[in-house]
Amino acid sequence: MAAAEKEIVYGRIPVPTWRWLGVNEVRVSEEVLQETPAARLVTIPAGETRELTVVTRDEAVSELHVEIGAGAELRLIRARLASDGTQCADKVKVALAENARIVYTAVNLGGARIADLLDVDLVGDGSSADVVALYYADGQQKIDMNYIARQRGKNTDASLDVQGGLAGRAEKIFRGTLDFVRGTVGSVGRERESVTLLSPNVVNRSAPLMLSGEAEVDGRHATSVGRLDEEKLYYLTSRGLSEADARRLVVLAAAAPVLERVTDAALADEIRTFIERRLSDG
Amino acid sequence: MAKQKTFIEDIERALYDVRGEDRPRYRSESGLTEEIVRDISERKRDPAWMTEMRLESLAVYNETPLPAWGPDLSALDMEKIATYVQPDAQMAGRWEDVPDEIRDAFDRLGIPEAEKESLAGVGAQYDSEVVYHSIQSSLTKQGVIYTDMETALREHEDIVRAHFMKLVPPKDHKFAALHGAVWSGGSFVYVPAGVEVKIPLQSYFRLNAPGAGQFEHTLIIVEKGASLHFIEGCSAPKYSVTNLHAGCVELYVREGARLRYSTIENWSKNMMNLNTKRALVEKGGLIEWVSGSFGSRVSMLYPTSILSGEGARCEFTGVTFAGRGQHLDTGATVVHAAPRTSSVINTRSISKDGGVAVYRSGVKVAAGAKGVKCAVNCESLMLDDVSRSDTIPVMDVREDDADVGHEAKIGRISDEAIYYLTSRGIKEDEARAMIVRGFVEPIAKALPMEYAVEMNNLINMELEGTRG
Repeated sequence: MAAAEKEIVYGRIPVPTWRWLGVNEVRVSEEVLQETPAARLVTIPAGETRELTVVTRDEAVSELHVEIGAGAELRLIRARLASDGTQCADKVKVALAENARIVYTAVNLGGARIADLLDVDLVGDGSSADVVALYYADGQQKIDMNYIARQRGKNTDASLDVQGGLAGRAEKIFRGTLDFVRGTVGSVGRERESVTLLSPNVVNRSAPLMLSGEAEVDGRHATSVGRLDEEKLYYLTSRGLSEADARRLVVLAAAAPVLERVTDAALADEIRTFIERRLSDG
Repeated sequence: MAKQKTFIEDIERALYDVRGEDRPRYRSESGLTEEIVRDISERKRDPAWMTEMRLESLAVYNETPLPAWGPDLSALDMEKIATYVQPDAQMAGRWEDVPDEIRDAFDRLGIPEAEKESLAGVGAQYDSEVVYHSIQSSLTKQGVIYTDMETALREHEDIVRAHFMKLVPPKDHKFAALHGAVWSGGSFVYVPAGVEVKIPLQSYFRLNAPGAGQFEHTLIIVEKGASLHFIEGCSAPKYSVTNLHAGCVELYVREGARLRYSTIENWSKNMMNLNTKRALVEKGGLIEWVSGSFGSRVSMLYPTSILSGEGARCEFTGVTFAGRGQHLDTGATVVHAAPRTSSVINTRSISKDGGVAVYRSGVKVAAGAKGVKCAVNCESLMLDDVSRSDTIPVMDVREDDADVGHEAKIGRISDEAIYYLTSRGIKEDEARAMIVRGFVEPIAKALPMEYAVEMNNLINMELEGTRG
């Protein structure tokens, strides 16, 4: 197994920190990346509005490059629904022209190990990125995410909102970077991460970076890591729900805003059912 | 109309920049060799175990690479640094016995005056050696020990040996190894069980020699149920050559004990400040860090608290002010290694004139550390578009019964706040000044009074119509 586990660096945080924290690099098995297909290129012409849903299941690696023209908008839903025991790596790169907008929804479920990279370049003035991600991991699963919003144009707006649950012995790293490049005057960046810990044996690492070379910006991030809200659980169990049902309800309620953005009803159902089943099994 | 910006003056440094004549009794060759390390050890009459530790540290230093993260350290050339500079003075217990020129330096910094008014003991280090040490007799009668590290090594060797570089082992990083090899001076404090030291002790470190390093070691042990407030100050005059500070602070806070460790760092802008501070806090103990970073060309400073006993607590309060030519990479690390431990980290940073302020932190919650609470809040204010402000926090949580929160903000002075205040009759320049003072106020109020006043004096504000 040792030779098969040789890893290569698939992604990095823009500014490294202490090595002992183990967040500087996203590493992926060299074997997984051997079958890397050519990146898929999606171009949205200026002024157009499109929606695209990408579901990856059996492919080990996917790479998507998106260019959104001036004033155009793309609603991109990307779901990684990995088969049990598989390792996979997904990369999405987005470039936004003037007043372009991406509404991005990512879901990571299943598999043994998922690497998920997102790089959004807000080049154009007035461009915006509304990014929401959802994950759930249990057993021995590992999810490793690296999201970067690089704000270059004037008056850009970036929002990263990531939430998920960890059970069993699952491990997850989320790195989220808001990078205000010098000159991005008037830009706003928001990052929010909420992690629900459902087992004492999980490992959660969060690295919410905020980098700024520009004074005329407003950047904020907030991270909260903890167990399920005891008050909500108490309320539900006092109304006759079993604790397992109450937990399932609370977790699904937290996931609901993300699922609402998944316009393909069958896909939304599949994701909901997947989480419900895993919560029941756990 | 061009937007107005608050102009905050550089920190007034005239007081700190007065140079004493560079006339040491002894100055080691520049560079770092085994001969130099052996020479320092011999001059200090180290016991054999200490000489051995120095040489082992040198070996670690030589095989350890520079950090792969953080500020650029390429300006640091150890071949041009004298690691040991012995001032022309014996350690004295009375200021009258300190040579005039050295005493003048501390007089200008207000140390003897502060001692009279508000301190229970003072240590003063000049270059590589402590030149003055005193402690109130009422404390010695209670068994409190406050002395320089060399005296502690002679008179309390067993205690020193059991604790020295145990919290910060030389293998920790390259500059911990450097410190282990060439350390000199610093303070030793021992507070017996149950003793409350109600008035602070203060050590002041002054590096006068150009092209030199200061490597003082501070070791504090606060026994069960005891308490102490220790203040550390440091400064140096500015030279055109690089100076280096690689001190080490090891703090042991026993069961139910409390230690407040306050630092105002105001090194000159030719200083590389690569300092290491760490505290081990036992059951129910409390470590409070109050840290002001104003000086130096480069700083890498992240006090670490290891909360090893149930219910141990850490409160970290820090302010960083990075001006022209400065890259101040500061922050904190907390390891929650026991149940029901808690920590609060609260920082503010200001960057201006091309200064770089970085907040870097690590919070770790170990498996089994149930009931942990941790709240981190860091805010950064940028005053122009040539400066930088980065926030690099990491949380590593391995226990579900934990409540960890982190909040951060980066931005400029808000137009809405200015509008609100001016609409209530406050002049705009005063409104801006109020906002900046309010920004650092949570930190200022945690400082000892004389330092809070000094910080306010350091941050002189004026408004310019379209500056920036």
